[in-house]
Amino acid sequence: MTIIPALHMAGISKTFPGVRALDCVDFDCRTGEVHAICGENGAGKSTLMKILGGSYRPDAGEIRLNGRLVHLTHPRQAADAGISIIHQELSLLPYRTVAENIFMGRELARFGLLDRRQMNKRAAELLRRVGADIDPEGQVSTLSIAMQQLVEIAKALLLDAGILVMDEPTAALDERDAQNLLSLIRGLREEGVAIVYISHRMPEVMAVADRVTVLKDGQKIWTRARHAAPVPEIIRAMVGRDLKDFYPKRPSSGPGKVLLSVEGGANAALRDISFDVRAGEIVGVAGLEDSGKAHLAQALVGDEPLSAGVMRVNGKPVSIRSPRQATAAGIGYLPGDRKRDALALRQSVRDNALLTLRSMAGFFARPQRAALSPAAIDSELRDMDVRAADFGQEIGTLSGGNQQKAIIVRWLAQASDVLVFVEPTRGIDIAAKAAIYQTMRAFADAGRGIVVVSSDMPELIGIADRILVMHQGRIAGELPRGASEEEVMRLSLGIAQQEPREAFA
Amino acid sequence: MTPIPQVAPLRPSPKLALNAGLVIFVVLYAAIAVVQPNYLEPGLFMNFLRRAAPLLILACGQLYVILTGGFDLSVGAVATLAVLAASILINGDPDATWAVLGTLYLMGIAVGLVNGLVVAFLKVPSIIATLGTMLLVNGLALAWSGGAARGDLPENFRNFGRLVWRDVWLIGSLPLAVVVLCGFVAIAWWGLNGTVYGKRALAVGDNPRAAELAGTPVAATRIIAFVVSSISAVTTGILLGGFSGVSVNAGEGLELQAIAACVVGGAQLLGGRGSIWSAVFGALSLFALFTLLNLMGLPQALRDSIQGAILIVAVGATMWRNRRRI
Repeated sequence: MTIIPALHMAGISKTFPGVRALDCVDFDCRTGEVHAICGENGAGKSTLMKILGGSYRPDAGEIRLNGRLVHLTHPRQAADAGISIIHQELSLLPYRTVAENIFMGRELARFGLLDRRQMNKRAAELLRRVGADIDPEGQVSTLSIAMQQLVEIAKALLLDAGILVMDEPTAALDERDAQNLLSLIRGLREEGVAIVYISHRMPEVMAVADRVTVLKDGQKIWTRARHAAPVPEIIRAMVGRDLKDFYPKRPSSGPGKVLLSVEGGANAALRDISFDVRAGEIVGVAGLEDSGKAHLAQALVGDEPLSAGVMRVNGKPVSIRSPRQATAAGIGYLPGDRKRDALALRQSVRDNALLTLRSMAGFFARPQRAALSPAAIDSELRDMDVRAADFGQEIGTLSGGNQQKAIIVRWLAQASDVLVFVEPTRGIDIAAKAAIYQTMRAFADAGRGIVVVSSDMPELIGIADRILVMHQGRIAGELPRGASEEEVMRLSLGIAQQEPREAFA
Repeated sequence: MTPIPQVAPLRPSPKLALNAGLVIFVVLYAAIAVVQPNYLEPGLFMNFLRRAAPLLILACGQLYVILTGGFDLSVGAVATLAVLAASILINGDPDATWAVLGTLYLMGIAVGLVNGLVVAFLKVPSIIATLGTMLLVNGLALAWSGGAARGDLPENFRNFGRLVWRDVWLIGSLPLAVVVLCGFVAIAWWGLNGTVYGKRALAVGDNPRAAELAGTPVAATRIIAFVVSSISAVTTGILLGGFSGVSVNAGEGLELQAIAACVVGGAQLLGGRGSIWSAVFGALSLFALFTLLNLMGLPQALRDSIQGAILIVAVGATMWRNRRRI
């Protein structure tokens, strides 16, 4: 029993001002093993991986690679030691070719000149190894997120990484691409790569992991073999309690009048979109990554306006050409990429929550009065249970769940009639997820409507009253509440596209 | 994560940042007083404020643009234009002064609108757009004036920069320029704190896309910032005309001084952080530094070098602090 693990981290501690992010954590990963790390946001997963990647230095503890003690002080050093980290946010240069990206910083040269031919050839080999049919000379920006992820993995293989760390690799992927990625991971495991897999998605962890480690509040709770770690146990360890009633109960009363309707909507990415959202209803939108479901959300909020068709809010036709017009019409937007599209990270929690109210107020509205006052918004933030030491603190310092809650407060304060959520719980820990679902349900129950676009199928099925499934820019079908994942998947793959819409129950 | 008792703040609160700008100014002014003790007399302090007034006003205008994440390089040229245009249009006739003042502000607003529209709708980076207007306005002003100071400024126009009331209770003397300064700072403060505009500008500077998706009128916010900046430039030009008379390089280099002032005061380049006090204390600090160097007999030319060094150090310090935050 004296196998020397490929990676052994012992007694790792790291303190940031005000928080102990890691408290004496042990972790190891053997060659040819997939070791999953589970934990809520803020549990310390990312910190642990940043220490492994050489971005942070631990306050205490040691790292051994194949039994050899190493001090990683720079990301480059970690890479040279055979550690490759694929971050949640991809780090490719969009306007360079795939091969250039794979060889970034390690370009091949002949007589001091770039050897493009050789690089393209080797890139093609690596891409084949990860099972990707990608032109190495193509520009990265033309690839889908899933393809870019494969390029990242090919890049890791170039380094001959013995240890591959994947941080939420499927967060941006739809079901089909995620499955492909998982089988690729299994293949790499066979080749003897030690893989550290960080994910919130339990089905994936169950499908791919050999061992599971749970972190909570910077401490390791336990490490177990997968068969000894059923999902409920993992969740209980992560949140420290059972999660019953994960998805809120649906109201018994039927939906009310039509709040939002679209007839024959179309633009560059969408065709023939017709649907409506009634008061009290949560309408889910499913589909593969390239199905146009994200474009549908952007069209509803005026970010990528419809160029044809009629949109009505409360029965009145509206022309929505910009997010501001959408806001004025009573439609609020909660984007999937919160950092990029929703948050002013250096402004306070309060300022972020007040952003829409302030934006829609008259220019001479007094900022300290009535609804715009700090006291008013603070009480709304408290009602939403946004956890911050002080609402004057920068929102960038909050966890994803609290950030999302603050954005929900932003739109509640504006009293919008319809909210459009995209990936409402992406990168959000399980406890905060439940709270966000409750809030969505409560919003709908108050006689307003929600459109929720998500790649997380259990989430859609759990929260939505009915699901529109998109395929190639159209609504391929509509499923009532209680539909199965298989039904959704069939429609998203374009099978049974002609099936008549099922009557709404 | 386990909170540790007695949490240390992650970064200084805005109030502390405000004090930092003030502290630099107090230290520099104390140094001036050591070299030249009579600077502590109210009269000389008022005179110091009078001479610092153009830079202060310009910095307040520049701050609006910096908050929204841009630069306005055209302000020096607009100030020059204001001086030259005033002397040509008034041409020594005191009765024309008020009408011409209005004309000057209209010209300023026009330049600000051009800057704002180009940046907001053509999406040209502000540093390029305003570099363009800077050359454009400078060229127009020189062509119009024929390359040399022309015309004449009457007494009532020059009073804005020159008039000093004597024997004022408590403070001894009160320059009109200081009254103009206080008025301008008060209006600039009100714009940022008395209306919703200030918070919109900060959000736009921090993340324009998020602001737009949250319903903020991003284009209007940017355009207003450039108009305010140009208005500050015209005001500066009017004071400069009073100080030093008509000259074709009246506003030369002021744009960089104004940007440096905001940065010294704690406003963050590329937007999202800063207050009106960043501009006020930053400009006071910068002007105190220039005065100190002058008193110590350093050549004028070194000003530029020092300004450059300040910009690099200030921005470098911000970046370093941000990185250390990780």
